[in-house]
Amino acid sequence: MKTTDKYKHDWQEQLAKCIRCGTCRSVCPVFAVTGNENSTARGKVRLIEAVTEGDLELTHEMQQRISQCLMCKACVTGCPSSVKTDWLFLDARKALAEENSVPFMKKLAFTSLTYRWLFEKALGAGTLLQRLVLKDSPDGRGMVSRIPLPAAGLNARRIIPPLATKPLRSNPLVLKPRGPRRARVAFFTGCMLNYVYPDAGKAIVDILVHNGIEVTLPIDQYCCGTPAFTSGDFPVGRYLAERNIEALSKQPLDAIITGCPSCGLALKHEYGHIIDDPRLKEKWTEIATKVHDITQFLVEIGHREDFHEVKLKLTYHDPCHLVRGMGVSQEPRQMLKAIPGIDFVEMAHADECCGAGGTFSLSYYDISRQINDKKLDAAQDTNAQVLVTGCSVCRMHIDDGLSRRQGTIKVRHTAEILAAAYRIPGKEVIS
Amino acid sequence: MRPPVIEELSSLVGREYVMDKLEDRICYSCDATFRSGVPEVVVRPGSVEEIMGIVRLASRRGIPITPRGASTGLSGGAVPIKGGICLDLTRLNRILEIDVVNRVATVEPGVITDDLASAVSRAGLFYPPDPSSSKVCTIGGNIAECAGGPRGVKYGVTRDYVLGLEVVLPSGDLVQVGNPVDGEMSGPDWTMLLVGSEGTLGIVTRIFLRLVDKPATKKTLLAVFETLEDAATSVSTLIASGTIPTTLEIMDNLTIRAVEDYLKVGLPVAAEAILLIEVDGAPSAVEKHCDHVIAVCKRCNASDIQVAETEDQADKLWRARRAISPACGRINPTKISEDATVPRSQLPAMVRRIKEIATKYDLKMVVFGHAGDGNLHPNILTNKHNLEEMQRVERAIEELFRCTLELGGTLSGEHGIGYMKAPFLEWETGRDGFALARQVKDSVDPKGLLNPGKMFSAISQQIT
Repeated sequence: MKTTDKYKHDWQEQLAKCIRCGTCRSVCPVFAVTGNENSTARGKVRLIEAVTEGDLELTHEMQQRISQCLMCKACVTGCPSSVKTDWLFLDARKALAEENSVPFMKKLAFTSLTYRWLFEKALGAGTLLQRLVLKDSPDGRGMVSRIPLPAAGLNARRIIPPLATKPLRSNPLVLKPRGPRRARVAFFTGCMLNYVYPDAGKAIVDILVHNGIEVTLPIDQYCCGTPAFTSGDFPVGRYLAERNIEALSKQPLDAIITGCPSCGLALKHEYGHIIDDPRLKEKWTEIATKVHDITQFLVEIGHREDFHEVKLKLTYHDPCHLVRGMGVSQEPRQMLKAIPGIDFVEMAHADECCGAGGTFSLSYYDISRQINDKKLDAAQDTNAQVLVTGCSVCRMHIDDGLSRRQGTIKVRHTAEILAAAYRIPGKEVIS
Repeated sequence: MRPPVIEELSSLVGREYVMDKLEDRICYSCDATFRSGVPEVVVRPGSVEEIMGIVRLASRRGIPITPRGASTGLSGGAVPIKGGICLDLTRLNRILEIDVVNRVATVEPGVITDDLASAVSRAGLFYPPDPSSSKVCTIGGNIAECAGGPRGVKYGVTRDYVLGLEVVLPSGDLVQVGNPVDGEMSGPDWTMLLVGSEGTLGIVTRIFLRLVDKPATKKTLLAVFETLEDAATSVSTLIASGTIPTTLEIMDNLTIRAVEDYLKVGLPVAAEAILLIEVDGAPSAVEKHCDHVIAVCKRCNASDIQVAETEDQADKLWRARRAISPACGRINPTKISEDATVPRSQLPAMVRRIKEIATKYDLKMVVFGHAGDGNLHPNILTNKHNLEEMQRVERAIEELFRCTLELGGTLSGEHGIGYMKAPFLEWETGRDGFALARQVKDSVDPKGLLNPGKMFSAISQQIT
């Protein structure tokens, strides 16, 4: 059977809902840079429709255009007809990947995700070997490539953080709460908090423990699969989703905590779209209700208020998958504002995408940078000392941008500020 | 498109702004109507000189050109139904000047309507036309279709604000019609000929717009009626007795229920119709008009009248108005939005006829619109994949057009003619009027290359 025929029926309901009004032109961050209709949701929906009507094949050219999307969901929330463009584009990427395969480098990377042991070894070797290709950036924000490596999405000026010499999950795997136990949770770390920003990951564990929560770091958790399934590699995405569902349903839990919005979104919503097996889907339904972003969870259970003074001017950036994916935007603000000494300033367009979009910034660095520059302008206009956000990919991309323009703003995960306010040892106040 | 043409176009505007891959051409094949026409090439010029070059090339080689802005039109004006060049004008998006002393804005066609309105507001003045798509649509497109909006009842439509235009003619020559001096004119009003011409006579490259005073205050009211006719009668009585509100929007029961189901803002779901009324002006005048509106609505059997006391309450009501489109999309996927406009004295009759048509053809039809200027938007909610129903939809639309004209109305209140209403245009103009328009078109565009298949260049439908 032709790939198109296999999926045509699933797509038609959403396709028929698109009234072609073009409202997505006013919200799409990629379109704001390119000005090209082929970047809009309307354009992409037209392409998928043309495929179902037999006017277009699942071509490489189409694959390129469908992949030029940050998956930021601005068009989903902005659509007057409630077209599920995110799922439609995921499905189209799946079909296009089946027809044309995923680019070789990506495929290699995703497949390695399914061999956690191998992946960890590779990253372990990475921490040793990274110095061969990368060097410290002059401003100490991270590392820059010694030579341009376009295949890896690294141009010579791009700042990326070094891999941690000791991943987060090399710490003890069960942490007892401070005081009587109020709840028992699993912390789904995700790759970024585990390998790149373990300090932020540690801060999440610490503030949970401080709030009387017993925290488990399940040893058998894998990558959430987002990089794979958003690139159309559903077999790998599904495999990872299934492993994670198994890992998270082994023990009774009150909640599953994420500090990475894309992991949270995957566990809470997107798995429902990519899992086929009805038995696992049932298990997933139970898990999904328990998934909480760290700030969302703390606000819901009623967090401790023994905050010490932190004298900082802060601004906050809403990660797409947190604000539009998980529906969390007030919780981090509420907690940050509760800290004495914090001068909280909203930046303009705080909920607009920073341009990172996971693997998007690797494939389309120039567009990604131009979108990010607007974010940086808005952040710098606030004169804040620290930009706080709940996503490590946003953090990496914003840090890269700041470094390129010699900005002085520091970027931190929300949990790190909270840990500093709770005066948890080792969490010094950022100066 | 043949390679030499692509090469020539590329040398004019740069290769990156010439798109001839099928995938890109499909993205540029539609507007907000349901029919598509795939252009042979998409060109995105960045200057007037480039546009002149493209038009000359097209004229020399006999290639049709369909100009477009944001392509949000509701009559198909920007759909390249005859292929050829799709000319995307959105790169010309500069607000060149807001002259506060002379109250004139000078803009390029690709400026987004809302961007202009905010810039004008920051300068302390007001640009009133407010089409529902103002966040997306362009001034060039507004001029091409003569766009309106809820404020039309008091402030008029785009036409009423255009002082002058710079236009690339089908020959590739550049002319200026009208001028930036408000109230002055040498010779006939050529500008008026171009506003609403949908790019069939020329390509607008620069626009001089009239700006007005910002109203000091405004107030929003909601009036509830037991019958749609009572609501329609209120509208004509209100205006006849001297109050011209800023906006006067009508919603029928099906619309109310759809919006309430979607938004849950506390609309009266049992009501057969509601009127959403806004009055603006100096505070004392607003109070006076407000009292008058309440008195008239009561006299016309309004069962309830609510005045929004806070900005929040007013905002909630306007949110309900803006939510009509998405709310209806949830009932049935394909929404065919019509634009029947009658003299406001005929509004009660028109409302009755629309209901009859919906029943006769067994279609789901919601009625809402800018009742204040007689501009109703009967929307047929259907599914374009249901071919049998689509045939009934076509017959219903024809009958709708016929009764609009019988009541002394017009086919286009604010959406334009495009390809959708072109076959019926002769019904409105009459045979001689149509022939005259054809002569004008033929003398300006003898090769018929500018936006073919729209307005007067389409084949007329016989009056049945």
